[in-house]
Amino acid sequence: MRVRVDPDRCEGNLRCQNAAPEVFEVRDDLSHVLLDDVPEALRHKVERAIRLCPRQAIDWLRA
Amino acid sequence: MTQASARSADEINLADQEIFLRGEAHDLFRILRRERPVHWSAPAASALSGFWSITKLDDVVQISRNPELFISGHGITMQSPQGSTQIQNNPILSGRMMISTDPPDHVRLRRLVNKGFTPRAVRSLEPHIREITTGIIDDVAARGSCDFVTDVAAQLPLAVICELMGIDRQYWQLMFELTNRVLGSSDAEYQTEGDTVGTIEAARATAMQGWGRMFEHFMNMIEERKAQPRQDLVGILVNADIDGEQLSLGDILQFCALLVIAGNETTRNAISGGMLALAQHPEEKQRLIDHPELIDTAVEEILRWTSPVAHMARVATRDIEIRGQRIREGERVVMWYGSVNRDEDYFEDPYRFDITRSPNDHLAFGIGEHFCLGAGFARLEIKVMFQELLRRLPDITTAGPPELLRSNFIAGIKHLPVEYTPER
Repeated sequence: MRVRVDPDRCEGNLRCQNAAPEVFEVRDDLSHVLLDDVPEALRHKVERAIRLCPRQAIDWLRA
Repeated sequence: MTQASARSADEINLADQEIFLRGEAHDLFRILRRERPVHWSAPAASALSGFWSITKLDDVVQISRNPELFISGHGITMQSPQGSTQIQNNPILSGRMMISTDPPDHVRLRRLVNKGFTPRAVRSLEPHIREITTGIIDDVAARGSCDFVTDVAAQLPLAVICELMGIDRQYWQLMFELTNRVLGSSDAEYQTEGDTVGTIEAARATAMQGWGRMFEHFMNMIEERKAQPRQDLVGILVNADIDGEQLSLGDILQFCALLVIAGNETTRNAISGGMLALAQHPEEKQRLIDHPELIDTAVEEILRWTSPVAHMARVATRDIEIRGQRIREGERVVMWYGSVNRDEDYFEDPYRFDITRSPNDHLAFGIGEHFCLGAGFARLEIKVMFQELLRRLPDITTAGPPELLRSNFIAGIKHLPVEYTPER
């Protein structure tokens, strides 16, 4: 599973990093995805990050 | 019969601003969430169009996350915009105000200024915000009592937004008065002399006068910055370039008005409402004094509890169902943040003020396309204010009831008498 952050929408609100620190890291006001492939065990945390992102900047990347 | 004693959802009409003046809204929200979470109010005599009240959190998230389906361009309050031809022909009124734009315009406008509002930008101003806060408390500390709203709560957000914009200090009080007139136009206290105070006409005249004076002031600031560039927010807007295109004068004026209004009228009420909540829950106030490390969750609970923006509205661009209720194209949906932030499905014991509440995924700042640009500043201002207040004036409490704003758009407190042991 791949997840992406839209840099045009992200405003560095940190909600994703708080929800899934294994997957997201905010540097210079922009969230970066740390993992190329999100393991099943982290799916819930990423779902929560997607739900909480105030700017709707995160989504799964469909193959 | 007052609406609070209404037994059924049929009798509720949230267009009635008296509900908010009397502080009855939460009782009605509870009825609506339970009985009619998607609730129609028919057009009223006051020239309002009908509207749907949305009171459940899930539904507000769905609407907010679909900005093409539920647009802001036809107005973001329950009131429809007036006479569209009149607006189209007026170079100022036809300017775009970010809050009532839609994709793709919205993101373009937002990106002109959003770097000034990121967590990093906000953090860099923390020492300065603490310095301003210290000065505000210095001014009242020896007195032993004051009007918490005008003397304390209003002063911090006013100073922060005015400095960011580059408004000279001598005009800060004027900005406070003008934003009150624009957003508090239905409240007799802010209606200007000569109006028939209390009527819809008086409210319109007050708002128009407030807008006019505000635009006049910003016009001068824009001229100054055209002559001599400055790096404040107004200067950034004057020099803005969107793919080679400049903002029109109307765009800049609308942007300035939005910044000063949104910067002023919201955080003020979170701070005032937070003070009131702490006074009404002395055990929670003591807990925060004993455990200052709880400040971050306390700020979130204050935001949830006060929900300073009472509603935002959208207009449906096609027929759609919400919770089985058909919304037709062109109809207005009104999202009640005070209600969704007490939605039993998301908040355990929602009517309990709990400074350690977790999770606390409230929507006080909205969500999605129009998520509050100033959320970071609001959070920091509330945090620093209560840190400094409870450190220096720990026994501060209310000395009388709050005077509420007559508005269903801003959950406002106009005055709140407080008392405390004077600082020596």
